[in-house]
Amino acid sequence: MTMTAITEETETGKAASARPSGKTLWLLAPGVLWMLLFLVLPLAMMLYVSFWTQTTFKIEPTLTLKSWVTFFTSETYLGALWTTVRIWLIVLVATIVVGYPAALFVGLFVKNKTLQTVLLVLCVIPFWTSFLIRVLAWRPMLGKEGAINMILMKIGVITQPIEVLLFSELSVIIGMTQIYCVFMVGPIAFMLGRIDPSIIEAAKDLGAGFWRIFRTIILPLSMPGVVVGAIFVSVMVLGEFATSAALSGRKVNLLGNIIVTQVGSLKWAFAAVAGVVLTILMGAVVAALLRVVDLRKEL
Amino acid sequence: MSAVLQLSNVVKAYGDLRALNGIDLALPDDSYVSLLGPSGSGKTTLLRVIAGFEQPESGAIRFSGKDVTHTPPHQRNIGFVFQNFALFPHLSVYDNIAFGLINRAVDPVTDMKLVDRKVRDMIALVGLAGLEDRATTQISGGQKQRVALARTLVTEPQMVLLDEPLGALDANLRARMRSELRMIRERCGVTFLHVTGSETEALAMGDTVLVLDRARIAQQGDSDTIYNRPCSPAVARFLNCYNLFAGRMADGGFASAQGLLGFRGEPQKAADPAYAIRYDRIDIRPAGASAAADEVQIEGTFIASEYTGSAVNAFFSLDDGKVFEVEAHLSHRAPDNYESHKRYALAWKKEDALVFA
Repeated sequence: MTMTAITEETETGKAASARPSGKTLWLLAPGVLWMLLFLVLPLAMMLYVSFWTQTTFKIEPTLTLKSWVTFFTSETYLGALWTTVRIWLIVLVATIVVGYPAALFVGLFVKNKTLQTVLLVLCVIPFWTSFLIRVLAWRPMLGKEGAINMILMKIGVITQPIEVLLFSELSVIIGMTQIYCVFMVGPIAFMLGRIDPSIIEAAKDLGAGFWRIFRTIILPLSMPGVVVGAIFVSVMVLGEFATSAALSGRKVNLLGNIIVTQVGSLKWAFAAVAGVVLTILMGAVVAALLRVVDLRKEL
Repeated sequence: MSAVLQLSNVVKAYGDLRALNGIDLALPDDSYVSLLGPSGSGKTTLLRVIAGFEQPESGAIRFSGKDVTHTPPHQRNIGFVFQNFALFPHLSVYDNIAFGLINRAVDPVTDMKLVDRKVRDMIALVGLAGLEDRATTQISGGQKQRVALARTLVTEPQMVLLDEPLGALDANLRARMRSELRMIRERCGVTFLHVTGSETEALAMGDTVLVLDRARIAQQGDSDTIYNRPCSPAVARFLNCYNLFAGRMADGGFASAQGLLGFRGEPQKAADPAYAIRYDRIDIRPAGASAAADEVQIEGTFIASEYTGSAVNAFFSLDDGKVFEVEAHLSHRAPDNYESHKRYALAWKKEDALVFA
């Protein structure tokens, strides 16, 4: 009698652990509600609005492909799309080139855990100031009469100030690389810090030199960090508008800048088209990056 | 037999702490050497210095006739099997084993057919056939141990260092791997230096046993010598089979807290005097029994006993509170039942005692 009671109890217990019961599903309710109201609904709305009819002064819910056709035939919009992709790729490569060696130093060659943490916190210090100040601080740095030009002229490397430094694509790339580099350094340093030092010693003992060990052991084991960092940087750079607005003198127009100006002039349908294109682009980029490494297996 | 590895006066310090304090040793070629030492005695440091992961402050290391003191680890041709195995987590069993052959800086094997043959031979030798494509996370502890060993052996090192290789395995597997390690070594014909904290493992496996104590080699010899004639009280203590009494030499015996203890022969030279008697050389008698002329007898209170299958270990508390252990092998006699808190006489032959002075 007692035996059967116990088996019944364990069986119901098993069922509960295998499949969440109705009661526990309620824990998801606030999150699901929030996401539905403030993420899924606006996304659907954006997609819907992109098919509305836009006239100069008002927008009507009559479905049309006009805004989409305008977007994909206009040189301005396609140019912005291409600029976005180009700047994203350059900034992504730049953050890896600048960030990976720094992460390698912090994550692998700094043995002291406290010092490691201190160095990573140092990377985050720029974030203690506001985004706008960080971006604007580049102006006195890169300008025609800015610090870099002044120093280069003083030591006689150049006679004319380099004008391309500010209000150009270069200044946008310099600014973005500086701002987003830390998002690359963090995940890579974390993955490198997790590598068991005895694995590297084992590789040495088996006769491999440093570059061999880097290529065959360290790099593959740090790839999940590179992918996570690349996702962070990509999502932020693709959605950028402030850095390019502040440092390019409106010469560089990203999809983000297009959305801002379209919304500013109440062209909701065009803004929605650009928004949908940008969302799809981001989704594709993240999906492609996740293909590189199976994060579920690696983390 | 020629010495394959020779260390002379090797010193390694971490700050003020001397992890190795003047190590001198010579290891014979083609033999199984076990290195016994309690934790913190510098065992792992010694291995790391030999492998080249640590640089000694002074002293010289000669390996197969060459001075390798300042040679980086990847040029020494000394294999190292890590305590935690240190397998490459992103590579399969096969690729782990092939790693050294393909990637070594000195004389890498570029002919993939040759790599394949060597790796498959090694997989067969250590008994891993069928697991070639498994990830290292999908195999058991004993299999990981074999991969770690195969990965090292396939590069044909002239010597293999094993850092507590059986420590991470359960007792059953440990016993089986012991004989397998010896068998694999015999087939490869290189010297294995096996570090362990377990005295039974060290005695069972080593053709030669080294005992490390306080950053120095305390004794080097075969298992039988180490076990029966430990050269210092510290070595006797690690062996975990001797009752030790502190004291000093006196007329006609060794003066300790238990009174004057008799012995035969000359005492051995040692820094701290001690009197040692093996657990299994002691006879337990009712209190007040008279001792023969060639015997030493003390008294103690029975505390408890421990049954280990082949023997019973009985624990007695001596008058100064010291615990005294007696091991009775069950093949010799049936175990007696002793009463708790009752006094018994503990007697042994004078010739069985070892004295250090």
